[in-house]
Amino acid sequence: MEQSLGIIETLGFATAMEAADAAVKSANVKLGEWVKVGGGKVNIILRGDVAAVKAAVEAGVAAASRIGKIEGQTVIARPSEKLTGIFPIEAK
Amino acid sequence: MANDALGFVETRGNTGSIMALDAMLKAANVEHVKTVSIGGGFVTVVVRGEVGAVKSAIEAGTEAAATIGELICVNIIPSAHNDVFGLIGINK
Repeated sequence: MEQSLGIIETLGFATAMEAADAAVKSANVKLGEWVKVGGGKVNIILRGDVAAVKAAVEAGVAAASRIGKIEGQTVIARPSEKLTGIFPIEAK
Repeated sequence: MANDALGFVETRGNTGSIMALDAMLKAANVEHVKTVSIGGGFVTVVVRGEVGAVKSAIEAGTEAAATIGELICVNIIPSAHNDVFGLIGINK
């Protein structure tokens, strides 16, 4: 089953955890590992079908932007499988 | 089910986070879960306990951290989702 990929990038770990918590509670998505980008930036990886991932990213960004800074967000409906080896996007 | 509130105090620099952790552990019955450093000098202290305990601990921790260095962000997740516990690397 093709899983879409959602990424929320925040400034700060606490903000990232707020985004992850809101995202997971808002839609039927799975969390991947959080990615340490450096310079205080953290990526949250979300997997699921495209509608759920879209809703989860929006909910996560809305919740996290109340307490911290959102650096970026994206939803890739059909990520290429080659991405898996390069970037840790598997759901836990 | 009772103690699944998570508290985060994120500072730039380690001194502030140690001050905050010390104040939090003294202020209320909370357990230190993890200290996460994500580069750029960002250090986040994660504590866990009942919502009331985490709230008062976070208040004390914020005050302490604000005196030293730079306080980036403070957050409480009253009842964190299971996946968020897995994300942080602790079991519920």
